[in-house]
Amino acid sequence: MEEPSKFERYVYKNDSVYHYMKISLVLENGNKYITDAQFKQLITCGLKDLYGEVGASFPFDLLKFDQNELTGILRVYNSGLVKLWSALTLLGSYQNEACAFRVMQVSPFLLALSGNSRELQFGDQLTL
Amino acid sequence: NATPRRQLEKCPRSLLVCEKSNFLNEKSRHDIHVSKHNFNYKISVLIPECGILPANISSVIHSFSPYYLVRDLPVYQLLEETFLEPLVKKGNFYALSYNTKIDEDNAIALLSSGQLILSLDKDTYEQLGLEGRPSLYNHKKAMRFVVTLDLTDKSLTPGTKRYQRVLSSLKDRLPLRYDFLFTKYNTGSDEDQTLNKLLSQYSYEEHKPAFSQHTLKNMPCPTLYPSDIQGKTLSCDPHHFLEWLGAVNLDISCENAADSFLSTYVCPEPQSSVSQALLCTVTGFISPENVFVLLQELRQYFDEPKFTPWISLTVHGFMDSPVSWGATEHGFLKGGENLYNFVCFKNQDYWLHMATGAQDGCPP
Repeated sequence: MEEPSKFERYVYKNDSVYHYMKISLVLENGNKYITDAQFKQLITCGLKDLYGEVGASFPFDLLKFDQNELTGILRVYNSGLVKLWSALTLLGSYQNEACAFRVMQVSPFLLALSGNSRELQFGDQLTL
Repeated sequence: NATPRRQLEKCPRSLLVCEKSNFLNEKSRHDIHVSKHNFNYKISVLIPECGILPANISSVIHSFSPYYLVRDLPVYQLLEETFLEPLVKKGNFYALSYNTKIDEDNAIALLSSGQLILSLDKDTYEQLGLEGRPSLYNHKKAMRFVVTLDLTDKSLTPGTKRYQRVLSSLKDRLPLRYDFLFTKYNTGSDEDQTLNKLLSQYSYEEHKPAFSQHTLKNMPCPTLYPSDIQGKTLSCDPHHFLEWLGAVNLDISCENAADSFLSTYVCPEPQSSVSQALLCTVTGFISPENVFVLLQELRQYFDEPKFTPWISLTVHGFMDSPVSWGATEHGFLKGGENLYNFVCFKNQDYWLHMATGAQDGCPP
């Protein structure tokens, strides 16, 4: 058993390398069948349209994808956050159908995406 | 002036405080950190190498206090004499306006210390006419103001001039009304009676915090040594650890190839494989006292020998609370995270990570 340790405290400012985004795709004519790869490809195309091949050439991860809800969790380097967010905002169509991305939550901590109090709903309340 | 490219790469500020101590240490502040974090939305417990929630922990969780959603409550009600003495001044009572966004709407919070915090937009602040100060997180123009009323202060004793003035502002001048979340710890019959009397005058619902649990199988798990909180040699570093905890909570796969198109996320090193792990969550409006009782119980997990050297407790604050720890102002810029995480070790050492976003003071 290790000896009980002494007190230590560290403060990290802006030390998170990534930002995380919880997003949802809304299609005008209701949900389509979209695979995780197509979902990611859609976002990549949106980035290229807005920033060109070079500007869009930063990686991002689709950490999780829910095919039923068309929601996803993205991970992106901090330097790519603004570009990714703007591309998501401006993306307007998928396979000739009007669509929109909703950014539900953004945080430098992935853990924070698992506890969004704005999701606390009751009965017939329409929140969010 | 940042160049256009620099501006595209900027990010909101975030803070992560990591503290290491021992629960048995007299000077340990774990109790203060928990008690000062007034408003808790969700807690999450992760126990590696465990398949069934131990009975004592389950029992504590199922004894968590209920909370109430009160519809359309006038804010002045929180100052009413019959309410103040038995409930507000005794402490252990918490109230937070529900469904009010701290970056858009007015938000009201009553801390167990007896401080009433009103976070108001400019128009409301001017119409209400109570003394406050501009928000710490105003951009260029002062659009948000914070009024703090210490209801335990002598100058706000019912009958005093100041008390009358404040009451009449909230009652007559600008009668603010919101849906509120209430919870209290300590069931004393006096307090119960007062609370029930208040609730009976309004439309309300009682709720028990929602509980869920999952047993995860065959997963990689970071190696943590209490002596190395910074993750320099024996443990994985704090950011990677918290990221992994997020992945576990969100059911995100940790086993991706480095060249995978979709995701390259993997469990941080050093790591080992565990055959199972228990994840349980509780969601609602949870008092710090309940969190503390749970923490005490989790510490006792190691009273008997266990396979795992550590267990974890995550506590998420409310995004739209006007405060984070104590009366430290909290805001919502691109996000409203204010969370903390305990890692409890066999020898009663612990790590405490406290994370906040752009519009927050440094955690205590």
